[in-house]
Amino acid sequence: MARIGMTTTVPVEIILAGGHVPVDLNNIFITGADPVRRVEAAEDAGYPRNICGWIKGLYSTVVDTDCVDAVVAVTQGDCSNTHALMETWQMAGVEIIPFAYPFDRDVDMLRLQMQKMASALEASWDRVLEVKAELDRIRRKVAEVDRLTWAENRVGGTDNHLWQICCSDFNSDVEKFERELDEFLATAIVAPPRKQKLRLGYIGVPPIFPDLYDHVESMGARVVFNEVQRQFAMPYDEADIIEQYRRYTYPHGIFYRIEDILAEAARRQLDGVIHYVQSFCYRQIEDMIVRKKLNLPILTIEGDKPGCLDARTRLRLDGFIEMLK
Amino acid sequence: MFCGMDLGSRAVKIVVFDGTAITEQKVVETAHFYKQCGAHTADGFAVNFDALISQLPSVLTVTGYGRNSLNIVGAEIISELKAHTIGALWQTGLTDFTLLDLGGQDSKVIRVRGGRMDDFQLNDKCAASTGRYLENMATVLGISLDEMSQHYLNPIDLSATCAIFGESELIGRIVEGVPVAELAAGVNYSIFRRIKPMLLALASKTVVFTGGVALGPAVAHWVREETGSEVVVPPQPQINGAIGCAIQAMKGNDQNVSRN
Repeated sequence: MARIGMTTTVPVEIILAGGHVPVDLNNIFITGADPVRRVEAAEDAGYPRNICGWIKGLYSTVVDTDCVDAVVAVTQGDCSNTHALMETWQMAGVEIIPFAYPFDRDVDMLRLQMQKMASALEASWDRVLEVKAELDRIRRKVAEVDRLTWAENRVGGTDNHLWQICCSDFNSDVEKFERELDEFLATAIVAPPRKQKLRLGYIGVPPIFPDLYDHVESMGARVVFNEVQRQFAMPYDEADIIEQYRRYTYPHGIFYRIEDILAEAARRQLDGVIHYVQSFCYRQIEDMIVRKKLNLPILTIEGDKPGCLDARTRLRLDGFIEMLK
Repeated sequence: MFCGMDLGSRAVKIVVFDGTAITEQKVVETAHFYKQCGAHTADGFAVNFDALISQLPSVLTVTGYGRNSLNIVGAEIISELKAHTIGALWQTGLTDFTLLDLGGQDSKVIRVRGGRMDDFQLNDKCAASTGRYLENMATVLGISLDEMSQHYLNPIDLSATCAIFGESELIGRIVEGVPVAELAAGVNYSIFRRIKPMLLALASKTVVFTGGVALGPAVAHWVREETGSEVVVPPQPQINGAIGCAIQAMKGNDQNVSRN
């Protein structure tokens, strides 16, 4: 049994089916004791200052702590910075298992990638499908957390964000995750509905600011749609595992993502959308397309290093919410 | 008496409004304001109005950078975006326009439709599109901000994307013997280039231009030339945010404010 790190969401069923422990490095980095220090450590090692904070944080998290035995690195469907991250890890002696999401969502290419990953992790395909069935049962409960957020207003933005984002690796312990999820659902289902009138969507990579959702709620608005986090939770209840990762929008280009965003914006009756972009990330360019395709008020905010919301971002959020009221 | 205050990074702007007209206005340095014009108390900063204006205000509304960091005793706090929108509505009497405010730490572009803020964009994480960049460059050139904002003919090309490296580049051009007027024009053009995408994204037939830089013709010249919009500079562009606060103090929460 090995601890298998991941740079973003990959078919976690395969890691578990091989008898390994999945570890989402993003979660280890951002919830660690001092994420800012991790970024600085990467800069000390030679990473440029003007490179995404997540890449630097992931680099140090693997190199400076003994948290994983190997890493599944997504070489297509995420950024080219991940390529160099993978190479610098290899220089540091980290074992890399490459995984690529085909840009055109080609089903045969995706199947081949998943089979190669299963082979590298010594996972039988039958076991992969058994694990999928177990995980889908838990994912349906996470989908209920999401429904309680937007349809019944009983769950806040932070909890919605956390439960869905943690489905990338189920906090490295599927049974414990499910127990805690059951406990959460038991209280959430009877929680009083929240009063904030403005309904916002959050799109883009997960925020590097831990206090974003609480701040939005303190201003009389609420995030009822976390786009990418929801995708990490595989929301479609799709029976075919290849099709499940084919429908997963995040690695498959902005136009495919926008179809999902538009459908959810209508279903959840969003008043506006917060588009989060990471400093120095290529996805900042895609903001142009987001603004043209979404017929909703959009606020674009930018985060760099880990930490609470800075004054300039609060000013933008406050102005946006004030404008929508 | 209704009082509006705009707590900026360099200056605090204060406007007193009697319900129909501005009766008093004052600009004090931010450091002086916090040292000499009040006291920090358990409830926040208590302003000593005797040191600033002739009458005690009955209602006080303030704005400033990062509104949640402000804590002025007895004041309603509104966002800068709202303050500037209300100020521009009252100063110009217009209801449909794009507001361009070049502030010390931010450049703001706000689209106003039917008297309400409809959309906005602020500069990205870069000091090179703020008033502070212009101040630094004026210092390098040895001229005042007022003088610098006059020049727009034959702008030299400044290529640095960073406000600090821009200074070194400017010094290099001074050494080459380029006339100050052309250097100043180049600085003004470089800041226009940074706000132009925001102006195009939120375009209107009329651009209302505020902030101290609006007192000079340079940036307005390119806004007119390169976006095709008419440029309106309100009578008091440098205290627009404080005026907006004073009007808000009078009107309460009603954002549909016009001159009449």
